[in-house]
Amino acid sequence: MTLSSDLSIRYGPELRGFGASLPDDFSSALSALESRMGAEDLERWAKDGVALANHSLRSWEAAAEYFRASPQIVDRLGADGVHAWVETAMRLAASSSLMAAAFLKATPDALGILKTEELETWAGQGERLCRGNWKSIALAALYFQVSPSLLRSLPLGSVGRLVDIVDQLTERSYELANTCLESSPTIFAGLAEDDREPFLRFARAVTRASWADTRLYFDRGPRLLEHVSADQRAAFLDLSARVTTEVGRQGFPLFADAADALSRIALEDHSDLLDFASRLAPGSPTSAMEYLKSAPFMRTRLNDQQMEQWREAGLEILLAERNPEGAEAFFRLESTRAEEMMRALSSRVELASINSMLRMYAKALSGEPVSVLSAEDLVDQNIGWVTESSATTEGSAIYLPPFVSTFEEQDANFQVYKVFTTHQTARMEFGSFRYRWNRDGVFTPATMAARETTAKERRTTAQQKERAEAVTSIQRFFNCFDDRTLIAGLFTIVEDTRVDSYVSREYGGIRRWLRRLQEWEAERRPKVEEMALRTAFVENLLRESLGRPDTIRWPVAFREYLAQGLQALKIVEQETASVQDSAEVAATLYDIATAIPNIVAPLSDGKYEWDGPTEEMLSLQPGMPSGAEGPDMQPSDQEMQFENPPQPEFRGDFKPELVQLLARLKNQVEGDQDGAMAPLTKEQIMEMLENSVELSIAEWAEGDIDQSLGMFLENMEQAAQQAPGDKKPDDDQKGGQQQEGGKGDGGDGELPIEIEWSYYDEWDFRAGDYRPRWTRVGERYGKEEDSEFYEETLRKYHGLVMETRKQFEMMRPEAFKKIKRLEDGEELDLDLAIEFSIDKKAGVGPSARIYNRRNKLERDVAVAFLLDMSASTDEEIEKQRVKHDASDDADDNFDGDPRRYFQWLAARRAKAMVEPPKRIIDLEKESTVLIVEALEAIGDSYGIYGFSGYGRENVEFHVIKDLKEQKDDHVLKRIGSIEPIRSTRMGPAIRHTIHKLDEYDAKVKILILVSDGRPQDHGYGRDRTEKEYAVHDTKQALNEAKRLGITPFLITVDKEGHDYLKQMCDDIGYEVVDDIESLPRRLPTLYRHLAAD
Amino acid sequence: MTALTIEAAGFKQIAVEDFRITDEPYYLPIKDEVELFETAYERRIPVLLKGPTGAGKTRFVEYMSWRLHNRDARSHEEGVPLITVACHEDLTASDLVGRYLLEGDETRWIDGPISRAAKVGAICYLDEIVEARKDTTVLIHPLTDYRRLLPVEKRGELLEAADGFLLVMSYNPGYQSALKDLKHSTRQRFIAIEFGYPPRDAEAEIIQVESGVDPAIAQDLAKLAEKVRNLKEHGLGEGVSTRLLVYAGKLIAGGISPRRACQVGVVWALTDDAEVQRSIEEVVTSIFDE
Repeated sequence: MTLSSDLSIRYGPELRGFGASLPDDFSSALSALESRMGAEDLERWAKDGVALANHSLRSWEAAAEYFRASPQIVDRLGADGVHAWVETAMRLAASSSLMAAAFLKATPDALGILKTEELETWAGQGERLCRGNWKSIALAALYFQVSPSLLRSLPLGSVGRLVDIVDQLTERSYELANTCLESSPTIFAGLAEDDREPFLRFARAVTRASWADTRLYFDRGPRLLEHVSADQRAAFLDLSARVTTEVGRQGFPLFADAADALSRIALEDHSDLLDFASRLAPGSPTSAMEYLKSAPFMRTRLNDQQMEQWREAGLEILLAERNPEGAEAFFRLESTRAEEMMRALSSRVELASINSMLRMYAKALSGEPVSVLSAEDLVDQNIGWVTESSATTEGSAIYLPPFVSTFEEQDANFQVYKVFTTHQTARMEFGSFRYRWNRDGVFTPATMAARETTAKERRTTAQQKERAEAVTSIQRFFNCFDDRTLIAGLFTIVEDTRVDSYVSREYGGIRRWLRRLQEWEAERRPKVEEMALRTAFVENLLRESLGRPDTIRWPVAFREYLAQGLQALKIVEQETASVQDSAEVAATLYDIATAIPNIVAPLSDGKYEWDGPTEEMLSLQPGMPSGAEGPDMQPSDQEMQFENPPQPEFRGDFKPELVQLLARLKNQVEGDQDGAMAPLTKEQIMEMLENSVELSIAEWAEGDIDQSLGMFLENMEQAAQQAPGDKKPDDDQKGGQQQEGGKGDGGDGELPIEIEWSYYDEWDFRAGDYRPRWTRVGERYGKEEDSEFYEETLRKYHGLVMETRKQFEMMRPEAFKKIKRLEDGEELDLDLAIEFSIDKKAGVGPSARIYNRRNKLERDVAVAFLLDMSASTDEEIEKQRVKHDASDDADDNFDGDPRRYFQWLAARRAKAMVEPPKRIIDLEKESTVLIVEALEAIGDSYGIYGFSGYGRENVEFHVIKDLKEQKDDHVLKRIGSIEPIRSTRMGPAIRHTIHKLDEYDAKVKILILVSDGRPQDHGYGRDRTEKEYAVHDTKQALNEAKRLGITPFLITVDKEGHDYLKQMCDDIGYEVVDDIESLPRRLPTLYRHLAAD
Repeated sequence: MTALTIEAAGFKQIAVEDFRITDEPYYLPIKDEVELFETAYERRIPVLLKGPTGAGKTRFVEYMSWRLHNRDARSHEEGVPLITVACHEDLTASDLVGRYLLEGDETRWIDGPISRAAKVGAICYLDEIVEARKDTTVLIHPLTDYRRLLPVEKRGELLEAADGFLLVMSYNPGYQSALKDLKHSTRQRFIAIEFGYPPRDAEAEIIQVESGVDPAIAQDLAKLAEKVRNLKEHGLGEGVSTRLLVYAGKLIAGGISPRRACQVGVVWALTDDAEVQRSIEEVVTSIFDE
């Protein structure tokens, strides 16, 4: 009997008790081992197995793995090694048999990588994860399970560090730990060898900073890393780890954003970026990340050299000024310094920075109140001027691209804007939109009536549907042609040629830049030889129009056509050519163009030999050619759909049809129609728009056209009603009657509130710099309720009103300046005195009025009241007081007599019914009423504003009474409607008020802020609890006021006000009104003191 | 200029009532103002010239004075003198009418400009009349209606205006504020001739003649003026005056580059607002090449 069968017989039955397969596993292992182990060893091996199986409840499973794995490893470990191995397993089984089984099972594969002596360490790392509960056991088992594949990409030491991370995660969530561990083998296998350690290091940092982000990191990290240049990944990870250690929770989001930013930058630039980032990292890791985040944006604006200058400036803030917060804001592009620097360096010109200047420029040139807007706005308006980047006009506003970066130099780009603007204003100035139906041009007789008749006949013969009657002259003109795309394209070229000639003649200074842009455009024209013939014809006209006849290419055989076309175009280049000429020329060109088949010329055919124009063609005398005369061109089967060549950028889009329509709609709205014109119906407009080629209906969803047109129409009507630029409700075009109802008549709620947005910087005290255009303030007129509140307050405070009015009247100056010719006064007027004595001598009745008196200077005070309308002003004052007084009343005065107590309670309730509980805002309102009365008595100019809002993008600014406004019924009604809204972002509200005061002409300017607490808003500080930021910003805003000669003053009813007001106000006056109810009395008194000196 | 010029110590002194325009001042009639004025003069109807500064009001009066002088010189040996008074806020009645002066131990009466004009039958031109104190404007009332009398209060006399006397005032409605408006009782004693800015071609001609700049530049300056005037009420209180354009033209004729000349002669002269300046400068650079 062999040893193996002996062992099998001996131990078999014992093993049979554990499961069906165990004895089989045992015997097959035995037979495999028999020849490789000595008898004693085999005996020990078998005993170990049985012991393992018996070890604990489910350890037989481990034993099974033991039996299965042993034959695979015995050669590597030797008999003693196997014994040691199973002893380790026994130890593990003491914690968990499942873990032991996983260990045993994974060993053969693990040993493929591990050294024998590492086995123990490996086991120990798994054991560390096991804490006795089933979740930890499963995790430990998973560890052994994934180990073999994990070890292929990570050395054991690194795996140990991974285990540390996983172990740390278990403190929070086993599930999370599990997921991370499970995904590790794939992750690390996917990473380059050098990146694996850094990846782990960053993982450890993330786990420490914010455990929840670990999953995100394991999940998205590898993919994010792919965006980064391969040789830079390790550096990037190390940087991220450093940042995370520093900033904690924000670490991973910064990493993700930075990686995302890097994805938008060419791989070869990554090393440079990261090198610089690592220079920033020691001083301010966050700056380093912010720098990476901003890099793609900066690259669109600066070239390499400029970028270098820009970032060095940021680095200097960090190193030389030792201001990490400042550097952070700089690189986050949230500091004025960064923006100014960028603007100075960049050659790109932003419309926003020159908008108002261009507006005046356009006004000057065109003589019309045009406004200059960004083309983006037009896209938003959805009127179908679809392209965002090209300039255009709709007759009262000029739309320009939001930025220009055509050339390398900033000045050149500015000149591009000027050419854009000049071309658009020139369309208005030289009458591009003033086409009138069938009028003679200066050089060309009108042919349109005849053409219209022919077109109608042609359509009747062809049994086409007759077009509806035209709404505008230009539409009627276009209606005479079958191919609207072609005629629109030709008309555009001809008219632009005319306008450009005018501009060149009239504006000598712009000529050079116009030429330069024409050159620029001419060099970028598409290849004419590849175009279909008719398109090529139009393209060649365009090239001539750009002043580059040398670039014209045209088949020699058909020279005649082009010669005629060029000749026609010359007509409008003459000095007095009008838009009527343009229309006639376009019509002639149309005739010529339609005679040319729109086919792609076969290159091989000698007939289509392309050549430039002859000298004769270019030197032709202006004069209308007779029309399509030239070699006969047979229309061919391969004729293509005609498409206009692209329009040069500087000329922008030309939409005469829409402009005329809009002008008509506007007239309709304004009511000053020409009398003859009937109001347009919606159907007429729809019809016109459907036919017009100026809209890209194709871009709208098919089948939706009706709906889209409807929407378009509404937008048009809106645009017609509100001339962009002058948004003031006062000069609204609607008749007087409607005006009386006036702005914000709230009653019927039909008029949407008009909000005028302004942008203000905000002070970031950490960075020591402004965050440019950080806040958006929306100014609107306050709602109007009824003036009852006002009258009620006057009744209630009758005595006080009289008193303050009297006090204020006493402040009123008696007269102005120096008064001459008085009988009594402070000083003698020498001239008058001499005259007096002469007159006396001459015997003429002398005038005794020879004295002068100097009175106090003319009173010239403007004051703005800024009321806090934050939600906290909703608090009831009574309640506050009751809290304090309740004990006295209830306990002491009632002597425990419940009847008296109930009487008191009933009385109080009744009082509350009659008089609703008073809130802080009510007192603010009452004070306002009193101050209004007082100010009316003294005659100072005053404005009353309220503010609230939520977040930096939406600071609400309510105008109760504007400085320029007179006290009228509307104002009284608005006072009544002041209500608590939301937060208290004081800075922007103060800045907006400053702006208003600054524009107002007065010698003494005062700003009084009435609030009930500290400045507070969403995002008004680093986090919710931070108060410093808001206080600093408010302080800065108050200082700005002082710099502009405005005296700021703060009044608060917040009892804790002293704490922050001391800091906020420095040398600015403030007062904490302890007794809230004294506010109405206190405010006028305070004002008197403020305005007296 | 006139016969009574006193040549002493190298400078000329002319008594105000002797000042006559003998050389033809350059004036380009825009509408029918010459005819109107002549007729008004014949019928002795006082004239009010309204218009922005630098539009040519004073030049017009000078021109008319010359014209009338030349026309009437045959009958009147000495023609029509022109007496100009620049009004200011301290201008008193006696400044206009006259006053006593001390001479040794004696007093002597000295006529004021308006008395002199009334005596010699001159055109009396009160420039910027709104600047004067209101009581002084009332003084001229009896002179302007059928009475043609000037009360000389201090002497207890009434002065009857000589035949050729006519009162002409100028006034810039642009300054209009409640304080500086003309009283209706005053303004309704005058016919009013409005002076706007001349149309482009006329203005170009004026600039060319006055400054001696070449016609193309003059045309460009007139064009600039038209554009800048579009900005009135949109950033500018007052449009650019023809006078300023002539100055700019003179600078250009003197060799200053057009852009620079317009900058100092137009842009900076017009406004202190940096943004408006920039806008106008852009208009300048659009029109002028250098």
